[in-house]
Formats: sequence, structure tokens, C-alpha cells
Amino acid sequence: MSREVPLTTAEHDFIVEALKRNVRLDGRGIDELRPLNISFGDEYGHVKVQLGHTSLIVLMSAEVVKPHSDRPFDGIFTVSLELTNMGSPAWENGRQSDLEQNVTRTLDRVIRHSNALDTETLCIMKGQSCWGIRADVHVTNYDGNLIDCACIGIMTGLQHFRCPDAVVKDGKVSVYSIDERVPIPLNLTHRPLTITFHTFHDGELILMDASRKEELAAEGDMVIALNDAGQVCAVYKTVGRPVGAVDVMRKTSIALQKVQEIKNTIQKALDDDQSKRTRRNVGVEANSANDR
Amino acid sequence: MPRPTATLSPLLRADGSASYTCPSTGCLIMGSVNGPIELPGRRDAQKPEEATLDVLVKPGTAQAGVGEKYVEGILKGLLGRLLLGRETGFPRRGIVMTLVVSGGENGGKVRRGESYLPILPALLHTLLLALLSAAIPMSMTYTATAVAVTSTGEIKGDPSVRDAASAVSFHVLAFSSKGHLLLSQSEGSFDLDLWEQVYEHAYATCRGSQPVTADGDISMIEDASGYNLESFVRKTVEDQIHHDYSWMNNDA
Repeated sequence: MSREVPLTTAEHDFIVEALKRNVRLDGRGIDELRPLNISFGDEYGHVKVQLGHTSLIVLMSAEVVKPHSDRPFDGIFTVSLELTNMGSPAWENGRQSDLEQNVTRTLDRVIRHSNALDTETLCIMKGQSCWGIRADVHVTNYDGNLIDCACIGIMTGLQHFRCPDAVVKDGKVSVYSIDERVPIPLNLTHRPLTITFHTFHDGELILMDASRKEELAAEGDMVIALNDAGQVCAVYKTVGRPVGAVDVMRKTSIALQKVQEIKNTIQKALDDDQSKRTRRNVGVEANSANDR
Repeated sequence: MPRPTATLSPLLRADGSASYTCPSTGCLIMGSVNGPIELPGRRDAQKPEEATLDVLVKPGTAQAGVGEKYVEGILKGLLGRLLLGRETGFPRRGIVMTLVVSGGENGGKVRRGESYLPILPALLHTLLLALLSAAIPMSMTYTATAVAVTSTGEIKGDPSVRDAASAVSFHVLAFSSKGHLLLSQSEGSFDLDLWEQVYEHAYATCRGSQPVTADGDISMIEDASGYNLESFVRKTVEDQIHHDYSWMNNDA
């Protein structure tokens, strides 16, 4: 199973017909995101993201591991996303669904393969030890558009996370805990974010940030990933009716605006959290300009 | 005594959910319960006489392993005796419970080979609150607590992860709302006299007053405010019900 309960014909028709008049169930515009809310837990890299009713928790962690033998200079970065019964009653525990595979693959392509996190900076000692950074995504409530929500969560987590300091002396690696030495922020080369669209009416209507019901009624999807410099990192069109090149171009420029908006929201959330930490006297010395 | 905090039904799509912060270990646990639901993909889950219980414990920053499987077994064994899985509508269906552990000293990670016992009471309370929020029929409720015995023989309630690591023996006890001992998990070396003391301490933490001693005395050692874990569970659920039904209260 692991599939959402399908819409009734009446509900499906209602959504599709309403969209013909540019009306969405929740009253949003065609190119409008649901309200985005980002908050942080006590530890570095504990991010809570809410996009409308879709919500998830991202937990970042770092561990000293042995690098892959074919890439001795590289650290390891993994994204782990496991859909459990918590997010939606339709998801079975311990069984991989198509959605999970699809989301994991897209996130892998957009964040990991575009080298958003510079894994070479994670190297501690060539071929011996490196940091393994892990991003765990826990979906707590699923209401459509998991890809964008998870992407925002992971990118925020990467910017929020601090890695413990590790020093090599006489061929021995020593790792200092967060209390001993100021932890180091990760080195990001760029900040890609995805914007997901869904198509209706033979690809004539292309909708941003579909909710779960809209996703079920849609004909196809399209994912556009852009970074903060405005470069397109990836365009995915996996299922459904074809979309014209002009539409893709048009939607890409709209997606760029949205990516800038999301980037500002993330930055604001990060700044707020930083000032909160400074006030609590935790973040005072958490400044990489600090003399070691 | 540090007090836990909990929120009932924070999630929208699950039938019942609860989030719980354990004050001593600092871990934050989110629990969800769905039931009774169909489990069509699983033949083994279709028991003709009772509901199948499915518990998943998901560590925050690691892949689930043997430790999680072990603690899932403990939870399943305890709940199997409490949940009324033979009520109408439950046989051949499943009650699926999911717990996500985050926060705490290692970011919600119980390292391989490390014991799950320090956070077991928190897992049990989260499950109970999530089950109550999902309105799954149960024969009784329960409360659980952890007790550590230090090398000096001191009995320490609400131990942190560090206390647990240095303890000579470590115990987790759960009591039903009727005062029965439901679960007793112990680690380390101890004798029966010590266990009796641990039992009394745990009973007082969970239910407020000590059990009747051999000579028939009942000594009350509860918190000055009458606070105990059972009153915490009761208060949390009462507050939620009060909130849910505020629309029909004139005074609200």
C-alpha cells in the first residue's frame, strides 16, 4: 500500500474546476507558497520546518569516520529520510514507498551531488579519518510538497550546524567537544533550494507548492532547483503531461523570486536564533573569528 | 524535583500524538499512534482475535539497530497487557505506534551498545499520552520512573544519562493506575533488599504515597504540592480535554 487514500471523484473535480478559475482550496494564488515557519531546538542543527500543514524535523550530526578508499580527501555527507507512520497513516513503518525513494533521490541530486556542502573541508587526515555529516529528516505531518520542505530543512540545518573542532598532532587526531573549543560552521559552496510545481489541465496550469489534495488531483509535477546566485541546479520532470519550454522558463524566473524569499526567511530565522544564543551567553564565543 | 512537560495531539494527521520532554535526560520524544488501521501488506499482522501492536522507536540521528528492537520488545510486551485489542473493530487491524527520540546529551542518539533504560520511562509516558490522545481503549493507565543506585549506595531518582552510566545498578519500574507493578527492568548488581528500597522510591515518585509496609503503616512522602507522575499524566490530559471542549464551556 503506502499510498494516500485517493480523492473522491467529486473532490477531484471540485479542485480541478476551481483551478480553472484560478481559485485554490486554501485561497492562495497560483504562485504562492504556504506560510513558512522555521524554528530551532537547543542543539546546533536541530531544525523544525513548517510549510503550511507539512512539518518536519531535521537533525544534523557529525561523527568521525574513515573516508571511502577511492576518495581519501573527501568527507562523507548523507541524507537519511525515512517515512514513518507518524507523518501520514498511509505510510507503513519499515517499508520504503515510492514517495520516499523519489524525495530521497531528488534531495540527493540537488544538495549532495551539486556539492552544496564542500565535503573536502570535512577531511581530517587523508585516508584515515574524516567527518561524516548526517542529516536525518523526520516527517511529522505530511500535507504535500515534501521535497521543498525537506530541502529547506536540510539547507537550514547545514547553515545552523556546528562541527566540533578536530586537530591532528603527531599523526593523532583529537576531537574537542563543543564545551572545550568553539565549534566550526560547515563550509557551503552554494545554497540550492527546490521549488515544486504541479500541472493541471494538460499542462496549461502550473501550480506552486501543492497541498496533499492538490498533489493527488494533479496530472504531473516539475521540480526546479536554484541556488542563491540564481543558477539553475536541476530541473526534474518525472511524470505527467509535457510542459512547454516557455512555461519552464517562466516558472524558473518565478521560482527564483521564491528562492530569494525563502533564503531571506532562513537567514532571518538563523539571525534570530544566533542573537538568542548570544543573549544566553552560549553563542558569545561561537565566532569563528575567535583566536585559537 | 524536575518536572516533565508534555503536549497532547500536536500532530494533525496521526490519530493521536504527544510530545514529551524528559527533564533528567533532556531528550525530547515525539510519539504518534494510528489505530485501528488496516495493514494490508502484512499477512502476519492479521490476527483474527486481536489487534496487532506495532511499535517503532526511531533514533534522532542514526539508523535504528538492535537497541531499538530490544526496547520495542519491552514496550510491546507492556502494552499488550494494557490495550484492549479485542474490542469491536480491532481484530485483524493494527495499532501502529511511532516514537522519534531527539535532543538529549548526544542529540537523541543512544550509542550502539548503550542502554535504552535511561529514556525508557520517557518513551513509556509518550506512548501513554499518545494512546490517550488517540482514544485507544486501555484497561488502565500507568506511570514509570527510573532509579539509579550510586556506588555509595544512595538511591537517586530521575537520573541523568551520566548518572546512569556511573550507577552500580539501574532500575526502571512502571506502575499501573491501580498500583500494580507492571514492569521491572534492572541492570547491574543489587540484592533484594536494595530492590525493595528502589521499589518504594519508585512507587512514591509515580503514585505519591508509599505502599503499605509490613506493619500496616502508610507513610506519605509525596512532594509538598502533592505532585507525582500520575497527577502529571492526569493534569496533562485534563488540560487538553478542557481546551478541546472550551467551546461548550460558558465560563471559558
